[in-house]
Amino acid sequence: MQWLDANYLNMIDGFAYAGLLFLIAVGLSLVFGTMDVLNLAHGAVALIGAYIGAAILGGGAGAAAPSGLQFGAAVLAAAAAGLIGGVVLTMLTNGIDDHLRQALLTLGIALIASDLISRSFGADERSVAAPRGLDKSVDIFGEAYPAYRLFALGASVLIGIVIYLVLEHTQIGAVIRAAVADRAMVEAIGHRSTLLLGGVFAVGASLAAVGGALAGPVLGAQSGLDNTILLWALVVVVIGGLGSIRGAVLGAVLIGQVLTLGVSTLEEQASYLMFGAMALVLLFKPAGLLPARYGAAGGH
Amino acid sequence: MNAPQRRRSRHIPLATGVLALTVLAAGCGSSLGNEGGSDAAAEVKVGLLLPESGVYESLGKDMACGWNLYLDQHDDRLGGHDVEVVRADEGEGPEVGVEAGTKLLTDDQVSVLVGVVHSGTALGVKEAAVQRKVPFIVANAGARDVADGSPYVWRTAFTNSGVGASIAEEVATSVDGPVFLMAADYAAGREYVGGFREAFEAAGGKVAGETFTPFPDTENFQPYLSKVKATDAAAVFAFYAGGAAIKFVQQYDDFGLSDDVQLYAPGFLTEGAVLAAQGDAALGVKTTLHYSNLIDTIENAAFVDAYRAHCDGADPTVYAVQAYDAAAVLDIALDQADGTDSASIAAALSKVGEITSPRGNWRFDADHNPDQTFYLREVTDDGGTLGNAIVEPLSE
Repeated sequence: MQWLDANYLNMIDGFAYAGLLFLIAVGLSLVFGTMDVLNLAHGAVALIGAYIGAAILGGGAGAAAPSGLQFGAAVLAAAAAGLIGGVVLTMLTNGIDDHLRQALLTLGIALIASDLISRSFGADERSVAAPRGLDKSVDIFGEAYPAYRLFALGASVLIGIVIYLVLEHTQIGAVIRAAVADRAMVEAIGHRSTLLLGGVFAVGASLAAVGGALAGPVLGAQSGLDNTILLWALVVVVIGGLGSIRGAVLGAVLIGQVLTLGVSTLEEQASYLMFGAMALVLLFKPAGLLPARYGAAGGH
Repeated sequence: MNAPQRRRSRHIPLATGVLALTVLAAGCGSSLGNEGGSDAAAEVKVGLLLPESGVYESLGKDMACGWNLYLDQHDDRLGGHDVEVVRADEGEGPEVGVEAGTKLLTDDQVSVLVGVVHSGTALGVKEAAVQRKVPFIVANAGARDVADGSPYVWRTAFTNSGVGASIAEEVATSVDGPVFLMAADYAAGREYVGGFREAFEAAGGKVAGETFTPFPDTENFQPYLSKVKATDAAAVFAFYAGGAAIKFVQQYDDFGLSDDVQLYAPGFLTEGAVLAAQGDAALGVKTTLHYSNLIDTIENAAFVDAYRAHCDGADPTVYAVQAYDAAAVLDIALDQADGTDSASIAAALSKVGEITSPRGNWRFDADHNPDQTFYLREVTDDGGTLGNAIVEPLSE
């Protein structure tokens, strides 16, 4: 009981972080699982989302808290930018099946993109304002907790449920899963798989940008954030199992707790905890905790 | 048998030295003759090493502005000499900065080197400068070992531990209860906290706890802030700068500490661009620093006006003043120097005496760090603009 008293806020914050981590990682996992493309420009796309949030919402001294409408507009704008980014990335990676070449190509794109971003927005770190009503702290059992983090957790859960329902319970979800399992067969029954998979790539990138925008009020927008986000996404996806949505959820929850409860408990080892957790998982479950039931991951 | 030999061996370098001097004098004589024999006409070549890219870009911009303002106010002359400034990009860390500094020393053959934000870079550049006997005026980097009394190294900025120590007595007397210490886990963070802790405990203060957060990878301070709340800390002393400073101050407020646990810090926590990004979360934070643009003196008011006019309306930061003062130091030294070469400048630097500055007058101490006044500052809102209002000067 005493332990719970001392740590419940860490655990709540761990879940809030898990929500953000899931949003950031699920697009990467989806694209790898269905298209077999390792997209290292994922973090850069998320950073574009964060800067779109910063540009629309503002933040810092003298900035009024944006309305819910503005916030919605920022998220939608980020989603649209992500879609475009995804389409561009699809065209560039089309026909490249080798993972190393994919990684090099997308990493190069990421470096160029982050340089362009810091040139157009400046090197100064931006803070992003939370929307009105969510820009304050709420009371959780007597401890102050920022309301926006709870909202971000709720939004992530909602988006996660939508992804799950689309993939598992709709016609298009079934076709995507089928295309992953046997691309030729799907084409034979009249679906153009490039179009389909390009759409998945666009949605994956869009999710990254939305994740970046939603994370803005927590993580801010600054150069270098793209690398942090990419690293987190890779760790979450590797722990959960490449290409698996349920795995991304589990990986995000695990890393979320490691980054809060773990850091609080093992303060001295804080720097190594995330990679320590990943190493442990890889040692005992090399394919991740919940590898994809369908999809390319592990099938090579 | 040994004695005569030793005497002879002592004579050989002496003779060579005399010979070299004669040759040198002959060479100099002709070149000086062309310029009318006047020392004052000789140009001085200054290497300005400041970050022009990366995370310290805004600091570099402020410092360049302060440096340029001083030159602008003095007809682009220092100590009566025309100035040729060779600029180089310090980048984000020593791997870029030391090389850029060494290049200024070797390829560009500058007579004096000015600038450097990053302490690791400063230590590397110092080594190269001292080896070549070129004076190095450090305009920011605060690591203890940068200035050590070497005749070639002079710092117009501060020492990390000195900034930390400056506010210790104030915290010990005005806070009723123990104080929690936290900082980014790297050399500077440990120097700030170490300097504070030593002086704080000497003044009778009690420490509630101490934690160092991973640098630079701490995005979330929640676990640490919860830990602070779990202690009986009545105040926090923390060192963060840049992006971490923004997140730390905002989360300190988000998690409800700002209401009843006073936050004290070295002034870099709320200086320049980061203060604007922190927004209202920074209100009430108390810091110590050797400058604020809100210092209420005639000298500073004139400086702030001139700086705004010269630098697109921006308010001067501590970084700008440190570079401005570096130019002032060089101005005084060159005025007294026998020439514009490194040796003459190094010799004259030990005779600069008191420097008139927007921060208040100061002079170099035995280690060649500024002996200066620190100010207790508090973040206040002046009609939508946040600023570091001066509460009172701190006695060291």
